[in-house]
Amino acid sequence: MKRAELSRSRKLFRVLVRALPFDFQMNYGGEMEGVFHDQVREVKETGGPLDFLKLWAETLTGIFTTAPREHGEIFKNDCSYAFRMMRKNTGFTAVAVLTLALGIGANTAIFSVVHSVLLRPLPYAKGQELVFLRQEAQKVGNNDIGFSVHEIQDFREQNKTLSGLVEYHPMSFILFGHGDPDRVRAAVVSANYFDLFQVKPLLGRTFLAGDDTLGAPPVLILSYEYWKNKFGSDPGIVGKTFEMNDKVHTVVGVLPPVPQYPVESDVYMPTSACPFRSSKAMIDNRDGRMMEVFGRLKPDVSATQANADFATIAGRLKSEYPKSYPVNIGYTASAAPLQAELTHEARPTLLILLAAAAFVLLIACANVANLTLARMSRRERELAVRTALGAGRSRLLRQLLTESFILALLGGALGLLVAYNSLALLTDFAARLTPRAREIQIDGGVLMFTLFAALGTSVVFGTISALFSRANLTSSLKEGSTGAGAGQNKNRVRSALIVSQIAFSFMLLIGAGLMLRSLIKMLQVDPGFVPQRVLAMRTTFSFSKYKAGPELVTVIKQVLAKVEAVPGVMSAAISSAYPLEPEALSAGAAAFSGPFMIEGREVAAAEAPPVGGQVVVSNDYFRTLGIPLKAGREFADTDDGEFLVAVINEAAKRQYWAQEDPIGKRISGDNGASWLTIVGVVGDVRDFGLDQKVTPEIYTPHSEGAAPSTLIVRTMGDPRGLAEAISKAVHDVDPQTAVTHALTLEQARSESIASPRVTASLLAVFAGLALLIAGAGIGGIMALAVSQRTREIGIRIALGAQPLNVMRMVLGQGLLLAIVGVGIGAVGALALTGLVKTLLFEVVPNDPITFLSVAVTLIACGALASFLPARRAASIDPIVALRSE
Amino acid sequence: MTKKSDGESYLPLTPAAFNILLALADGEKHGYAILKEVARRTEDKVRLSAGTLYGNLARLESAGMILESDRRPEVALDDQRRRYYKLTKFGREVAVAEARRMEEALAQAHAKNLLRKPETA
Repeated sequence: MKRAELSRSRKLFRVLVRALPFDFQMNYGGEMEGVFHDQVREVKETGGPLDFLKLWAETLTGIFTTAPREHGEIFKNDCSYAFRMMRKNTGFTAVAVLTLALGIGANTAIFSVVHSVLLRPLPYAKGQELVFLRQEAQKVGNNDIGFSVHEIQDFREQNKTLSGLVEYHPMSFILFGHGDPDRVRAAVVSANYFDLFQVKPLLGRTFLAGDDTLGAPPVLILSYEYWKNKFGSDPGIVGKTFEMNDKVHTVVGVLPPVPQYPVESDVYMPTSACPFRSSKAMIDNRDGRMMEVFGRLKPDVSATQANADFATIAGRLKSEYPKSYPVNIGYTASAAPLQAELTHEARPTLLILLAAAAFVLLIACANVANLTLARMSRRERELAVRTALGAGRSRLLRQLLTESFILALLGGALGLLVAYNSLALLTDFAARLTPRAREIQIDGGVLMFTLFAALGTSVVFGTISALFSRANLTSSLKEGSTGAGAGQNKNRVRSALIVSQIAFSFMLLIGAGLMLRSLIKMLQVDPGFVPQRVLAMRTTFSFSKYKAGPELVTVIKQVLAKVEAVPGVMSAAISSAYPLEPEALSAGAAAFSGPFMIEGREVAAAEAPPVGGQVVVSNDYFRTLGIPLKAGREFADTDDGEFLVAVINEAAKRQYWAQEDPIGKRISGDNGASWLTIVGVVGDVRDFGLDQKVTPEIYTPHSEGAAPSTLIVRTMGDPRGLAEAISKAVHDVDPQTAVTHALTLEQARSESIASPRVTASLLAVFAGLALLIAGAGIGGIMALAVSQRTREIGIRIALGAQPLNVMRMVLGQGLLLAIVGVGIGAVGALALTGLVKTLLFEVVPNDPITFLSVAVTLIACGALASFLPARRAASIDPIVALRSE
Repeated sequence: MTKKSDGESYLPLTPAAFNILLALADGEKHGYAILKEVARRTEDKVRLSAGTLYGNLARLESAGMILESDRRPEVALDDQRRRYYKLTKFGREVAVAEARRMEEALAQAHAKNLLRKPETA
């Protein structure tokens, strides 16, 4: 029994000894075990169980104080040795650190975006409980029809899974009382909106239940940014009053700088203060859906449970109000975590960029490993001598890993600088994909990532170089310094590294190439209008002032006449939206579309009704934008609202009147209460993005009642110079009209493809980096091969080989590496490009043109990189070469 | 190997290191014997464990204060793995320097009457 215990103790001790450095174990491990064995035996013979425990306590303390000391000592020595080596090889150090800095920097930068946008919880207390509710009309392709007042009440009262439910809708109002009339982005919200998000005010208070009752004195809360930019962070702002919608509003609070979802607003107001939301018509109409709804899940309730809850409520509503939820629209209700809702658009792009950055880092690793190997072949003698003098292999491996760790750490520090400097650019880019872009920053999590990236990097390239140099250590003493066997073996490793660099570069270049081709395709798309020399300006007429249609029609007519009289203006029109309008792009076509009826056509209960986008325009809209008339006529002054008319686009004709002439047919957007006669067909316009397919659209003249809000002006020269004159012309007619957000349609077009453009540029930058690193790699390895084979090449030339043949031989080897790399890369790219499919426009992921041109580029790059070494090989003087040994 | 000039730079020694040097002062010993001798001499006040013993031996060896001895005991009597250590000339010098340092400190303590027996125990 005693023997068994003895050997158990001994086994455990043997495990503990492993905490010590390898060389220490080799040197003293056996003896230590012997000493311990003697101690245990003595205790067994003379002591009691307490003495045995005491022995173990002392032994454990001994090993765990000795181990860190020994490791620390080694690390200190390795570091000072590494720094000496680095100082001696400044060229190598600079190239390696720079390469790693670019690799790690790219990863850190992209990761900071991924971290802030996709990984970090929403910056609200228990942000994971926040959900976004939606009602969908799936059969008419609308995945967010909004909520009406009735529906909000129903969901609030009937749900069993939420601890709170609030509504929100964005409006534009004109704020008076502080300089020029200012058009503000107003968020109309429930009184408990900020309580639900758990946002505490910076100044004053948030809304109280009393603020949100009809007839309560109107109050406002300012966003932090608006308060800072517009009022210079005036600490006395609370209590000040502004006029808006003909009512005096009192500021009751200022928000802290929190990210605002789903869009940024300047001011917040309770629902009772919004003239639309509080109108009787809106409150009574179950179908008046314009609100968005957020909820907070009760603790321990999942989004899935909430979904089931809402589906039940939706089912109940469907059977209770069949008229509001016709079977054929496919009505459902659901909830999604707010975080996912705010970031789903950004996710694929960001993940692809992260993968691309990781590729760059892998290429950088392969390159530094290659550089290290090349340097190692020069240090081989030194390392072999050290081995011979008794340095264990693991000791050398450890030394090499320490060196690579220091290199990677320096690279990481520099990379952090690279990332820090690209942050503003990336935030700007991410803002097009997600409202969370504002939160992007380099924080502790990102720093940890950088540290781990550097650590991982050093392990990858350190291990590669250590493993392959170790294999050769023994042989290098036996042979000459350019020993053929070991040298060739190592060259094979280096070639494999080069091939992998080229393969990864190929995949990156394919990614960038495909994005570039998509972008070019997008630029070639005919937008359906002439964007040159057109200015669009948001023009908001006071809602309260021009309540009735005829008054507004008159004002608009006056405004248009005045604007057209401005020198340099060719024509002017007014409309509810304009093509490629930034807000319209992010909302999507469905948000502007609704079902309509075609006279004489029955729609079966289970069938989806016709759906079309609705645009309200003035007479000269088509002419001003250069949208061609295809049939019938445009709107005229005679369309005065008595006889209702509409113009459709060709997509609508194709979809609903494919076999007949739509002119003269009648449609209704209000369930047959009123009918519009189609009088014309115009060309298709890519209203919602150059890469979006054109959907049916119905244009109606503004004289039929709706209030358009965008002034569109075609000019003779640069339209930007006229913005001021135009806004003055509008103010001449009505000084209370806000004219804001001037944007040329060319800007709008360029803006509409900014996101694919930036994605393409980032991928192109990554691919360019990869190409540069891989090219330098090929050049380096060929130069090394030539210098290693100087004697052999000298002999060949002495034996009569033509310089041209020698050159061809070296070039051929470089090209072979490039071609093998391209082959492997092509296979990898074919396997991976499915991932970028969602980002492509009219380009297939295995686009032969892209593949071919990338292959040619890489092979040409390989040839170019091998050219210099090849020329040097050809010019080797056999006499000098033979003497050099 | 010997570093006469910088022997002073190793002072003061840790109690463990000093005791190991003392243990080797009267002859070569293997690890377990050192450990036992130190415990016996200090009446168990300095107890070395395997880890601290060999950590110290490694450091003393690389500083050139001790050496592995060529002497092997008869095979029948001893474990083959046991190595014997002996004090080098330099090691002896360092140990002496450490003892002198302590002696001086002691003398100063006496001069200040620190070590006079307290009146009340």
